[in-house]
Amino acid sequence: MILSVGAFARVGGLLLLTVVLQLSALSQLNLFGGHVDIVILVVAAVSYYGGSVTGCATGFSAGLLLDLLTGTTMGASSLVLTAVGYGVGRFREVRDPSHGLLPLAVGTVATACWVVAFAAVALMLDIGARVSALVLRDMIVTVLLNALLALPVFTGTRKLLRPSLAVDPLEVRRRRRPPREAGPIGLRGLEI
Amino acid sequence: MYDRKVVRRRRAALAVFVVLSIAILTAYFGESGGGFFHTLQRGAQEAVAPIETGASRALKPVRDLFSWAGDTIDAKDQNAELKKEVQQLRAALAKSQTALRDAGQLKALASLQDENYFPQSTAPVTARVIARSSTVWYSTLKIDKGSSDGLRDNQPVIAAGGLIGKLTTVTGGTAEVRLITDGQSGVSAQVFPAGVTGVVRPEVGNPDDLLLEHVESGRRVTENTLVITSGFTSSRTESLFPRGIPIGRVTKVDLDELETYQRVHVKPFADLRRIDVVQVLTRRGVAQQNASVEDTGG
Repeated sequence: MILSVGAFARVGGLLLLTVVLQLSALSQLNLFGGHVDIVILVVAAVSYYGGSVTGCATGFSAGLLLDLLTGTTMGASSLVLTAVGYGVGRFREVRDPSHGLLPLAVGTVATACWVVAFAAVALMLDIGARVSALVLRDMIVTVLLNALLALPVFTGTRKLLRPSLAVDPLEVRRRRRPPREAGPIGLRGLEI
Repeated sequence: MYDRKVVRRRRAALAVFVVLSIAILTAYFGESGGGFFHTLQRGAQEAVAPIETGASRALKPVRDLFSWAGDTIDAKDQNAELKKEVQQLRAALAKSQTALRDAGQLKALASLQDENYFPQSTAPVTARVIARSSTVWYSTLKIDKGSSDGLRDNQPVIAAGGLIGKLTTVTGGTAEVRLITDGQSGVSAQVFPAGVTGVVRPEVGNPDDLLLEHVESGRRVTENTLVITSGFTSSRTESLFPRGIPIGRVTKVDLDELETYQRVHVKPFADLRRIDVVQVLTRRGVAQQNASVEDTGG
């Protein structure tokens, strides 16, 4: 990702909007016993298109914002989202994937990592009460709902970040397509 | 192939952010409620609160839409669950109510036989009602005991409260009871303790009102007195019913047009519309001595 003021502004604005939207609306929508969590999807999308350094910075910022605005233990969300953002970014850097449906898998796995890791951190830090098994249902539902939303969120994020992207996976994929063959059918494959 | 600088920068970035997170976490836990991070948190919340409020209001219709969809799905699930629960509760309630009613009727049957006027040694056989006639013109019941249980035709049948009828058709495992409200029924009875006799006849269609007929006008019958079976015996005939089975209570006394006989209205003790358990008196029994009635009615 090309680091510029515009890129910072774009990512910062996106994160603020996402966190506010999450806290004001999406967290209050109870769907099938769980809720959508777009913060992790946006962090995963930015990390996917921006790389590991951008990913961990975005994760840290989003986590800090989330902790600040929700009044929960500061640093917990940052720690987990930093790790998830870094992991997604590294995946993109190492594998250099370009399949169109990959955001779906990335979003789903990132959400699963986020809910599990955050639960582990929360349990280690300050949860003293008994934990209901329904937490598992909530986690699973969140992962499934996020899987449904992953593609549009990734697409939207890519469009927003496109001017600052050093490498656009979609463009790479387009470039990799073999050129369409031309000429009379009977002469194809022949060196003439 | 690997740019060492890039790798170092990448690792450094990760380390910085992780260390920063852990440092914040540690500091947050270590400080008091008025510490830097707590104050920062409160400040951030206050600063963003108007935005959150605005966003929350703006997005309320969207939330309501989703909530409506979710509530509808939940309501459908709840509806199905509640329907199932209602069915279970209805079944349980019906079972307990039936048991309660049966218990009440059995208790009343047992206490009936403790009455001082009730005949002794009647060898009652308890049976359950399995069917009843569907019209008011034929007041009959079918019970789940028959000849194999020692039941015979014309044996008297009692229920909670008193006499309800007699057996008419007995098969191996079932028997039909003709109720005292059936149009063909007639029971010789007397008013207790006055001893005035008559025949209890039904008023078809009104199981709450029986008529004690052929009561002489000269014999005084008062309201609220007890009517029991008279169990008359003569050299040629004998009543099917042993003496002393309670039938009902006098509610009203009318004189007929010629004022020769009185028409005595009797409300039966047994609730003839709701009988579940009955007892068939398989032996005639013996009237108790202390319940002897001076029969001056002839």
